[in-house]
Amino acid sequence: MVDIEKLRKEAKKILKEGKVKYIIGYTKSSQNFSASPVFITKPEDTSRLIWNPTCVQNLVKFIVDDKQKQCKEKEPDERPIGIMVKGCDSRAINVLIQEKFIDREDVYLLGVSCEELGVLDEKKIAKKLKGGKIEKVDFDKKKNIIISTKDGEVKIPIKEVLAERCLECRANFPVIYDTLYGEKVEREVKEPFKSLNQIESQSFKKRWNFWAEQLDRCIRCYACRSICPMCYCDECVADSINYAVTPETTAEEKAQKIQWIERSPDLSENIGYHLIRAIHLAGRCIDCGECERACPVDIPLRLLNKKLEKAAHELFDYDVGFDHEKPSLISSFKDEDPEDFIR
Amino acid sequence: MKKRIGVFICHCGINIAGTVDVKETVKELTKHQDVEHSVDYVYMCSEPGQNLIKEAIKDKKLDSIVISCCSPTLHESTFRKAAKEAGINEFQCEIANIREQCSWVHKDKKKATEKAKKITRSAVERVLKNESLEPISFPVTSRALVIGGGIAGIQSALDIADSGYEVILVERDPSIGGHMIQLSETFPTLDCSQCILTPKMVEVSKHPNIKLMTYSEVQEVSGYVGNFNVKILKKPTYVDPEACTLCDDCTEACPVVVPNEFDFGLTGRKAIYIPFPQAIPATFTLDVKNCPGLLPIACGKCADVCEPEAIDFDMKPEIVEEKVGAIIVATGYDQYDKEKMKEYGYGKYADVLDGLQFERLLSASGPTLGKVLRPSDHKEPKEVVFIQCVGSRDPELHCSYCSKICCMYTAKHAMLYKHHVPDGQSYVFYIDIRSGGKNYEEFVQRATEEDGVVYLRGKVSKIFEENGKITVWGADTLTGKEVEINADMVVLAMAMRPSKGSEELVKKLKIGMDKDGFLTEAHPKLRPVESLTSGIFLAGAAQAPKDIPEVVAQASGAAAKAISILSQDQLFHSPMVAEVKPNLCTGCGMCVDVCAYDAISIEEGKAEVNRVLCEGCGTCSATCLRAAVQVKNITPGQIHEMIEASVGG
Amino acid sequence: MTKDFEPKIVAFLCKWCSSAGSDLAGVSRMKYPPNVVPITVMCSGSVSPLYIFNAFQKGADGVLVSGCHPGDCHYIKGNFYARRRIALVKELLDFIGLEPERFKMSWVSAAEGTKYTEIIKDFVKDLKPLGPQKKLRRDL
Repeated sequence: MVDIEKLRKEAKKILKEGKVKYIIGYTKSSQNFSASPVFITKPEDTSRLIWNPTCVQNLVKFIVDDKQKQCKEKEPDERPIGIMVKGCDSRAINVLIQEKFIDREDVYLLGVSCEELGVLDEKKIAKKLKGGKIEKVDFDKKKNIIISTKDGEVKIPIKEVLAERCLECRANFPVIYDTLYGEKVEREVKEPFKSLNQIESQSFKKRWNFWAEQLDRCIRCYACRSICPMCYCDECVADSINYAVTPETTAEEKAQKIQWIERSPDLSENIGYHLIRAIHLAGRCIDCGECERACPVDIPLRLLNKKLEKAAHELFDYDVGFDHEKPSLISSFKDEDPEDFIR
Repeated sequence: MKKRIGVFICHCGINIAGTVDVKETVKELTKHQDVEHSVDYVYMCSEPGQNLIKEAIKDKKLDSIVISCCSPTLHESTFRKAAKEAGINEFQCEIANIREQCSWVHKDKKKATEKAKKITRSAVERVLKNESLEPISFPVTSRALVIGGGIAGIQSALDIADSGYEVILVERDPSIGGHMIQLSETFPTLDCSQCILTPKMVEVSKHPNIKLMTYSEVQEVSGYVGNFNVKILKKPTYVDPEACTLCDDCTEACPVVVPNEFDFGLTGRKAIYIPFPQAIPATFTLDVKNCPGLLPIACGKCADVCEPEAIDFDMKPEIVEEKVGAIIVATGYDQYDKEKMKEYGYGKYADVLDGLQFERLLSASGPTLGKVLRPSDHKEPKEVVFIQCVGSRDPELHCSYCSKICCMYTAKHAMLYKHHVPDGQSYVFYIDIRSGGKNYEEFVQRATEEDGVVYLRGKVSKIFEENGKITVWGADTLTGKEVEINADMVVLAMAMRPSKGSEELVKKLKIGMDKDGFLTEAHPKLRPVESLTSGIFLAGAAQAPKDIPEVVAQASGAAAKAISILSQDQLFHSPMVAEVKPNLCTGCGMCVDVCAYDAISIEEGKAEVNRVLCEGCGTCSATCLRAAVQVKNITPGQIHEMIEASVGG
Repeated sequence: MTKDFEPKIVAFLCKWCSSAGSDLAGVSRMKYPPNVVPITVMCSGSVSPLYIFNAFQKGADGVLVSGCHPGDCHYIKGNFYARRRIALVKELLDFIGLEPERFKMSWVSAAEGTKYTEIIKDFVKDLKPLGPQKKLRRDL
């Protein structure tokens, strides 16, 4: 069990001592039943911090935002930031340290273990409620979620509405932390990449039909890129008429920018964008699922990244985000790397 | 600014024009908006052809050219030179290969022409974005470092020193001479090895241009060709070489006896010793590892008896830093590890020896003063079995390669044995006889014709001791019979391996090593004395098994290569190197990980390229997620356009 | 597909091995179909996934990446990174359903003119029945 009081106490302590400039955590959303990110600057406000399976967001994105902001400041505030991290989120921290985007000392990690559970998938819950509107959500001690709608109460075992990624999660407790809340429960994951099975069992033709239909819907809102903590590049290679020109970019450079993808949301361009993003996240994506959650048109984006996570694991014995001392996937190689696909 | 490109399509006689419609290609390229001039000519590389190009550059004020012709490996430099002579930057010239990769491999003229157009257009797209570049110049330190004081190192050092350049010769043993000084006589002349080598060793010690550092090891190497920084550890010998008179009193006084590595364990030596009488430098050395102790002084007897007071227990190791422009690696060989050949009784039976041990027996200054005696009972062996290819030519269990010299030295051993023991009989078990050098074949024939050596073609299956004799079971495949010899002594021709410690040195120098541990040459045929790292050269058995004449030739070759660097005030490096765009770089360091030349590093959070080390391979560019590093004149932007031109409409 | 379909192949050849091997095929006057247009890069390690995606986007029916054999890379280890990178690209393209016959990688040394010829011949043969590549192609 995660002792939330203990976490709040620690959060209060580090704020009071000035160890961190603020704390990023979860609090109850004012809008709906789930948790919402919150920035706590005053020690007394730490009582607002919560922890339950609705804490779905990957807060590490805010660390990235702060870093980018500080780089532009004349007098940057480089004090560490306190942050609540789940297992998956802690791996994101490891990748950022591995890539020297942040230093270990830049963050104070309040690690929370998902223990036997994980986070909820709102779409799965909505399906169970068959359109009912959620008014209140409670958790009982027997690992059920009790949802109150205007038609009454529904009790559902949490396991039935967990996010797909939690069902195959290999990091249910943080792999890096300053303080840890909850038990390091060892979970056996029989099929770590199960969510890929359906597509992988299909013929190439069927696979294409699936992806063509899914990616045709893409409106290139770039929400997936905006919410991903690893997409911290100032100039995105895929969309070169970029969304963040730095002050140092010369006019000549702007004129010479390579347009790998056109702006139009045609299928070929959508595919191009998602292929580039997936390959650039190879060995870096830790499956926080935020891209898929943020997608306004329900594209199962995390599957593309999961596929490359599986390839890294099976072909190169590489697991992302467990050790920030390791070199990155694409900047290392083994003599035994497979070459059966090479003539 | 709009570029003015000239396109020149070569007929190459009928080599190109016989398949590709050059006129049509010329016409097609005029349609390109940046092509000012497009012509064809029968032999573009000829003088009139080159003049055609130069005149067009002047008349049409062209700033860049594309030549569609043969492979760039043939004439890229020719046309770049012509461009330079006509007044445009040589890197504004690109070659479109429409011969080896088009006209010579296709039959359909229409399709070959279409392809030639695409290839040419692709080259135009590339040159369109080419920058004018100047070769990068950098100064040279006119000194050389030679690592290894065997015959290879000695020869290289003398050649460089004789040419007027300073050489530092580093040797980890107390004396130079390597393995050659341990030999008795050398094939095919049966020259006394020490007699031909010691004059060279003395020359080294006296040469004003050679700084000899024995009992020293290279610790660290950094920098690049022309500008290496080397840290050398000078181990303390505890004996002042200037004061030592070689009187031998310390050796008599020393109580410690250890196996003598110079005689491969056949004799012992004291902790304070001189490896051999003709050692250079001529001084004794205290082997502190086997000394009872200096902190505090546990024994001190050697210093007590040393009249010239040459022994100094306070000597400390020293790190010497040197700057050199070129390095020659001549670290030599060792014999195959005896632990791996237990089946032949090596290490188990006293009378089973390896080739170098046998050399020491034969040597007039050796443990038996040149008498061939069994180590077990000091009796003269009357029957000796020599086994070739021990550990060599055995891809399944040991080394897959042939060690090259064993056939020759085994014949030599058998002959010298007969000269020392006239009533003795020797047998040689062989698979093949490899005697390709000058006078080698005749030498081997003398072994059978004059010295009665019996050659048995077959392998040895078992060796064991019985009643004081070594029984050898083998096969004679030419008669089809099994052979048993109750020999008095067995000599094994062990495989040649790169010297112990080569692997660590290779890592320090960042030169290549092949699957067998030998140093990799830049090209097996055409560049046998250069390593893959510019400025570092290879000489001797460290690169591959070879005999003394080949070693000396290679050592002189490596010296010549080193001199070609040292003799220049400045060197030039290709300017097609990587360049970082700092505003896009996030300092993730992936480029640093992939660079084989350590040419890129993170300075203050951004990647920075050392232009002299960068070889322009582009691996960093493909690895970088942010397109923050690119190689000049072969950028992703250029390839983006080349892809479009190559796919066509 | 129709007998008239001629697949367009873009081949990224490393300068020191594969391009030299292709040159050798030419010197030896071997014959292979003209469907492949080579782009010579310095090292197979310099082939970015973006080039591969872009080639298909521009309408290539097949893409080949060819480099030195492991251990023989002119730049020592570029091909090891290529091996890993191209494996990932292949996994991704297979996953979205691009026909696996369309994207190939090979090791061709400077001495392997025959091998290069066979690779191209087989590549064209494999691509013909698949027809034009429309999945990733940008419509004009």
